[in-house]
Amino acid sequence: MKRLEDFRVGDAFELVRSADRYRPLYYAAVSGDFNPIHVDREVARRAGFPDAILHGMCTMGWLADACTAYFGDPGRLSRLRARFSRPVIVGDTVTFRGRCVAVEGAGVRVEVEAVNQRGEEVLRGATAEASFEE
Amino acid sequence: MAIDPRHVGRRYGPFRTTVCAERIRDFATAVAGGVPGHFGTATGEPHPLTVDEQEAAKSRYGSLVAPPTFGVTFAMHPFALACADPEIGLDLVRLLHAEQEFEYHSVVRPGDVLTTTGEVVEVRSKGLLDFLTVQSETRNAAGELVLVGRWSAVVRNEAPPRSEAGPAKA
Repeated sequence: MKRLEDFRVGDAFELVRSADRYRPLYYAAVSGDFNPIHVDREVARRAGFPDAILHGMCTMGWLADACTAYFGDPGRLSRLRARFSRPVIVGDTVTFRGRCVAVEGAGVRVEVEAVNQRGEEVLRGATAEASFEE
Repeated sequence: MAIDPRHVGRRYGPFRTTVCAERIRDFATAVAGGVPGHFGTATGEPHPLTVDEQEAAKSRYGSLVAPPTFGVTFAMHPFALACADPEIGLDLVRLLHAEQEFEYHSVVRPGDVLTTTGEVVEVRSKGLLDFLTVQSETRNAAGELVLVGRWSAVVRNEAPPRSEAGPAKA
């Protein structure tokens, strides 16, 4: 497990995840969110999207995975935040690029950008904080 | 159509959940690209403490811990109910999750009995967009705060029909 002294401002990390055809169905099953816009392509089309859209919370789960891998321990997280600025559609691949922006007291803060395969931002203002207080 | 500000303060819950190890593992597996119910199918490496019970038993927690967004399984009910509340009257087909924030006070482990309540804390409009924010609060059986969530939805309203006809045809 990492310790506070292992973190440096400027550290970088990256994670890539894809919204395959079944991801919204599997995510609906484990989250309990069966909103038709996620599991029914026709409903998504009526709402103006080309295909089913992935749950924002699944994208946030990917963000959390990226941050957790960097922090080394899912139980250290103290805060996680993101704005869903553009829907992730079935077929999209999202690249998360994170950067450590502060190590203060026992806290470590990161900022993360998340873009799809066209370079369009899918999250805005994504940040996570972890506490390494014993 | 703007959301009526009198809905601020509307409360939902309490909702009670008992956390189980299988649900944590399935959740972490599905987020990491795998198939729920099929441990080891994730292609994206979920954190070992969220899926591997032997590894987790050796950790400082002594058991699996829930991944950070697992709160969706036990703390989203107030938000989901507010979005579908006929009194508030949001159009679900035009509704998207706009913003999310979690504040973590304690890790979530198998066997935890969690109680969540929630309240509409903000409604606002910006052009054709309506925003609604629900704050959830989850406590464990000892009454200790576990998780605070701020869940915001946006409703993308259609522009009202124009009152004048388009340019006259020649």
